[in-house]
Amino acid sequence: MMLLKKILLPLLLLSCYSVNAEVVVVVHPGNNSSFDQSEISKLFLGKAKSFSDGNQAVPLNQEEASAARQEFDANVLSKSGSQLKAYWSKLIFTGKGSPPKEVSNDAEVIDLVSKNPSMIGYINAASATDSVKSVGKF
Amino acid sequence: MMKKLYWLLTVNCILFTGASYGEINLSGFTSINAGKVLSGSGVPQYDIPPTFLADYPIVSSYSEDVSFKPESLFGLQISADLADGLSVTGQLVARGANDFDAKIEWAYLSYEINENWTVQAGKKRLPLFYYSDFYDVGYAYVWMRPPADNYTWQIFNYNGVNALYSGEIGDWSVMGNLYYGEEDDTENKLLSEFFFNEPTREIWRDMLGGVLQLNKEWFEVRLTHMTYKNERYRDGKRVLFDGETSRTGKFYGVAVNLDFESLFLLTELNRLDLNGNSDTSMITLGYRLDTITPYVSYSQFKEDADDGEQHNTTSVGIRWDFHSSAAFKVQFDKVNDKSFDLAVAGDSESITLGIDLVF
Repeated sequence: MMLLKKILLPLLLLSCYSVNAEVVVVVHPGNNSSFDQSEISKLFLGKAKSFSDGNQAVPLNQEEASAARQEFDANVLSKSGSQLKAYWSKLIFTGKGSPPKEVSNDAEVIDLVSKNPSMIGYINAASATDSVKSVGKF
Repeated sequence: MMKKLYWLLTVNCILFTGASYGEINLSGFTSINAGKVLSGSGVPQYDIPPTFLADYPIVSSYSEDVSFKPESLFGLQISADLADGLSVTGQLVARGANDFDAKIEWAYLSYEINENWTVQAGKKRLPLFYYSDFYDVGYAYVWMRPPADNYTWQIFNYNGVNALYSGEIGDWSVMGNLYYGEEDDTENKLLSEFFFNEPTREIWRDMLGGVLQLNKEWFEVRLTHMTYKNERYRDGKRVLFDGETSRTGKFYGVAVNLDFESLFLLTELNRLDLNGNSDTSMITLGYRLDTITPYVSYSQFKEDADDGEQHNTTSVGIRWDFHSSAAFKVQFDKVNDKSFDLAVAGDSESITLGIDLVF
């Protein structure tokens, strides 16, 4: 029992944490484009505006304070929140671009992406459902 | 009373129709800065006391007394998306250097033709140097301000049209901008208040320029070229340049930035050919340690002439991202002003600090 409490429980918690910390990038089930980290980064940084199949891409961000956003920024875009805000400030205030629209949680991402083939979002890996297609875990 | 009511109704209508047709976005940026000259020579031959000229175009100058006004500013951007790719944007800026007198500095229409091309028309900031068109948004760069020796040109806005390109070539992200326009600044602040001490009207006509920016992972290069015709009136009288009423300026610039995860290097090299060459350059090295970013920087201005304008600045500073939308910065600048006849503000050592934020 002691063993369970002292070693297994923390291990279990740790593994839960690492599962929670992962995000999956999701698109509409009908989207057959190819995706890699660089492709996804470009879409979320406004450097690319269409999927590899040529169709228009509309990225969806989660709110700044959310765990999913922080994981996505760090693991996929490899930048801090401040760096990204500075990057977007430069584009917003020079009329060259605007950041992805923000939604408030995983459920909203799943709902929007499942209804719209041009959308791409990310959610906590544990929230994934069959109504969206996962194209990468980070 | 009736008149007031009429205006109220009109404003109401505009707001109402605006809201019903499209989305209105409000965003903004603010810098609250303070600073002082620790020691300086001034320019005795022109009766200028110890001064640090932090921003040439708007004449942000610090003296030996602490001042909050020179570089503090408040900017508000309103953008209305009118659907089908059409939008209108206005930017209102109140600067401490102008006693916080708010002015519309940008007002333009933007039409997105397709995912690669956007055309814009109206009043915009002149994208001469790398940081020119977001100079006021301190949050977007590491220093207190882009190096003053480089950002010396008196004209920083223009009225005209431009075409923006954004796309990809293989793994490279490509951004381009072609612009044409003019600016007639009836009382240019830098020339009137700082250099000539008399009302000076500065005109840049037929500005025609292009910018090409290429980026791949950690590497970025920006190339630019611009030509214009300069006319000037001092105290109402036309200035002749070698007997002519106008002279042609040609501007060339290249900026290369290397951005690794922690370490980054920023460089700029520019030449203005206006009856002779003036070269400006800068190099900055910075290192991100989580929320703290220390940096060192060197910049210079050198006019190719006997006793031509010549000055350089060595800077060290720290940016601290203490909040998700705000950064604290502190910077030490040592300016070396070498010319006698064309001395700007003399040698100086200064400290400036402040907070930049975006919303």
